[in-house]
Amino acid sequence: MRGKTTGLVASLLAAGLVLAACGSDTATTGSGGTSSPGSTGGSTSPAIKVGLAYDIGGRGDQSFNDSAARGLDKLKADLGVEAKELEAAAGETEAQKEDRLRQLAEGGYNPIIAVGFSYAESVGKVAKDFSDVKFAIVDDFTEGTDTGANIANLTFAENEGSYLVGVAAALKSQTGKIGFVGGVNTPLIQKFEVGFTAGVKATKAEATVDVKYLTQPPDFTGFNDPAKGETAANGMFDAGVDVVYAAAGGSGNGVFKAAKAKGKLGIGVDSDQYTLPSLTDVKDVILTSMIKQVDVAVVDFVTSIKDNKFVAGQKVYDLKAGGIDYATSGGKIDDIKAKVDEAKTKIVSGEIKVPEKK
Amino acid sequence: MSVGGLAVGLEVAPADRGKRLSPWVYALVAVAALVVLSVVRLLSGATDLTSAGTVQAALTAAVPLAMAGLAGLWAERAGVVNIGLEGMMVLGTFGAGYAGYQWGPWAGVVFGLLLGVVGGLLHAVATVTFGVDHIISGVAINLLAPGAALFLSKLYFSDAPGGGQKQSPRISDAPKVTIPGLSSLLADIEAKRWFFVSDLAGVLRGLTTEVSLLTLLAVLVIVGTAWVLWRTPFGLRLRSCGESPAAAESLGVNVYKYKYLALVASGAFAGLGGAFLAVSSGQYRDGQTGGRGFIGLAAMIFGNWRPGGLATGAGLFGYTDAMALRGSSAVHALLLLLGIALVVVAVIQYRSGHQLLSGVAAALGVLFGYWYFSTDEVPPELVGAAPYVVTLLVLGLAAQRLRPPRHAGEPYRRGQGV
Repeated sequence: MRGKTTGLVASLLAAGLVLAACGSDTATTGSGGTSSPGSTGGSTSPAIKVGLAYDIGGRGDQSFNDSAARGLDKLKADLGVEAKELEAAAGETEAQKEDRLRQLAEGGYNPIIAVGFSYAESVGKVAKDFSDVKFAIVDDFTEGTDTGANIANLTFAENEGSYLVGVAAALKSQTGKIGFVGGVNTPLIQKFEVGFTAGVKATKAEATVDVKYLTQPPDFTGFNDPAKGETAANGMFDAGVDVVYAAAGGSGNGVFKAAKAKGKLGIGVDSDQYTLPSLTDVKDVILTSMIKQVDVAVVDFVTSIKDNKFVAGQKVYDLKAGGIDYATSGGKIDDIKAKVDEAKTKIVSGEIKVPEKK
Repeated sequence: MSVGGLAVGLEVAPADRGKRLSPWVYALVAVAALVVLSVVRLLSGATDLTSAGTVQAALTAAVPLAMAGLAGLWAERAGVVNIGLEGMMVLGTFGAGYAGYQWGPWAGVVFGLLLGVVGGLLHAVATVTFGVDHIISGVAINLLAPGAALFLSKLYFSDAPGGGQKQSPRISDAPKVTIPGLSSLLADIEAKRWFFVSDLAGVLRGLTTEVSLLTLLAVLVIVGTAWVLWRTPFGLRLRSCGESPAAAESLGVNVYKYKYLALVASGAFAGLGGAFLAVSSGQYRDGQTGGRGFIGLAAMIFGNWRPGGLATGAGLFGYTDAMALRGSSAVHALLLLLGIALVVVAVIQYRSGHQLLSGVAAALGVLFGYWYFSTDEVPPELVGAAPYVVTLLVLGLAAQRLRPPRHAGEPYRRGQGV
């Protein structure tokens, strides 16, 4: 009797696990149907099927992933592509990432876009097994890991954009103390820090930059923990810092909350965070944002596939290529815009070389 | 209990030998700890060690952990091991997100609590009614809850303004209270940097300025738990189910009922912890709990399955966490503090006849002291590990007298007493 009920419960729990797995991997299949047939002017080639795997946060993160999603939405509207989007879960394993990409490749999706450097290893592995499928990885280019004849590495010159907001921070700071909150201490985020510090120092040599990373890899929760962002920013504000650059994904919300409570300023990242609906109640403390146009890269990549002009290897989206910019929404930096633009012109012309590494 | 974490770590050291220590002893230990903190602050110049900002951050970080620990306490005192706390907290964060953005923070707290109860009931049905292994059921809840929360958040938050598939729209924060007048007075004293006095002012200011009502609620709940479980017949019966369910049964206690009630309370507190986390960070996010349920469980064990102890443990975690996030100079000063604390532990252990432990503690203490004086900062890779290192050391060296409820984690079937 008891064995039977235990078995029953065990199977119920097992069913629960399966459900849980479904929950974290639910696919949202793009419609594409509204614009694809008929409107393409008699082209008989089947619609391009794009597979897109998000990083933690996924569509709706108001930041990095949403930028990729915007690119995909534009493709659906303009080119009538079909799309399948899969999301990552917090704390997942390498095998889960690999499975996700395999699932897309086996489902006939080509090209496949992996959003975020955490896919570096899995893209490298899966691309080897599906040599006729074209892959793109956003934010990573590691020789030997995710390079190959069918992989495009779409990277951004975050250091250049961070330099510009660094200039703005230095000009706006009253105390000469500026802060940087990084989500996770990875080479990618260090690139933001280096560029930012360079921008600050170039503008005001005596200014200091306080640097804090919320977590150390392999703990990636630092991108998703506003409470930690708030604590770190409060520590900086208490120490006299008055402008903090939050390169910390979702944890940045906590930085803005702290800035609002203490009457200080924050700088956003990836998207123009001033305009995001989820941040309306703290937007008056967002000085500017470093914009990383992942959507431009996504559209470029898929268009190149459509035109049969795929190029493997690294493609850098920098200030010059229009993949990076800074935001002026809110008008808080209107008075210093000329100076920031001057720096921008100098970077584009090559007069200023922004460092990438410490 | 909330005076700087390490301070309190020491409280555990002179463990009571069967007799209860008077409150004065605890007060004395707290004062002594603050003196040590003050000395370290003067030596290292790390003013953040006792600043109001640190204390505030430590409190905010400690509250969800303390609630998780309290949830574990209720379950284990009734004999059920609950490692599903993390999952129940996740349900709590979702509930707070769902109700919080629509009807305000307090509705969020209530909803978070209710969803936590659902998790607790699930655990009760599995472990009490069907006799499933407690660990299996707990793990299942930890896997099931994030999936369910994610599914629901996609359903309800995707189209909400400012929400996304993995995050809720913003929740307004719970009101915060400040004792008027006192706060600015204390701020003046704190700024003077006097030995001890300024430190005391800093700690007091942290405890009286901008304190969230949620924090006060958490304090009430902890005190209430201590009263209910140790001062009422109901509490005695509930604890008897964890110590010896067969004996309780023979005296006419309905063990199943008490285990159910305990798990409902356990789920409610875990949900509350999740709700606090979501409300104080202003929104629900997928993966927001970040292992806090497990840390809460560690805080409970650290606290020897007692409310005061677990609050101390949570405070210790919160304090080191705040330290690690706020500034690296303070973490560097923590090395010295740890060194001193370990030497104190060594002395206490030596006096109670544990030569080996005393030797290990003394050696480690000297090592930490050497580390402090020979370097200028702690490598960032180690800063994040500070809370865990401190807790491991305190657990390993100062607290050998832990005693879990005797029959916690064992399946109990009515009429088949052991």
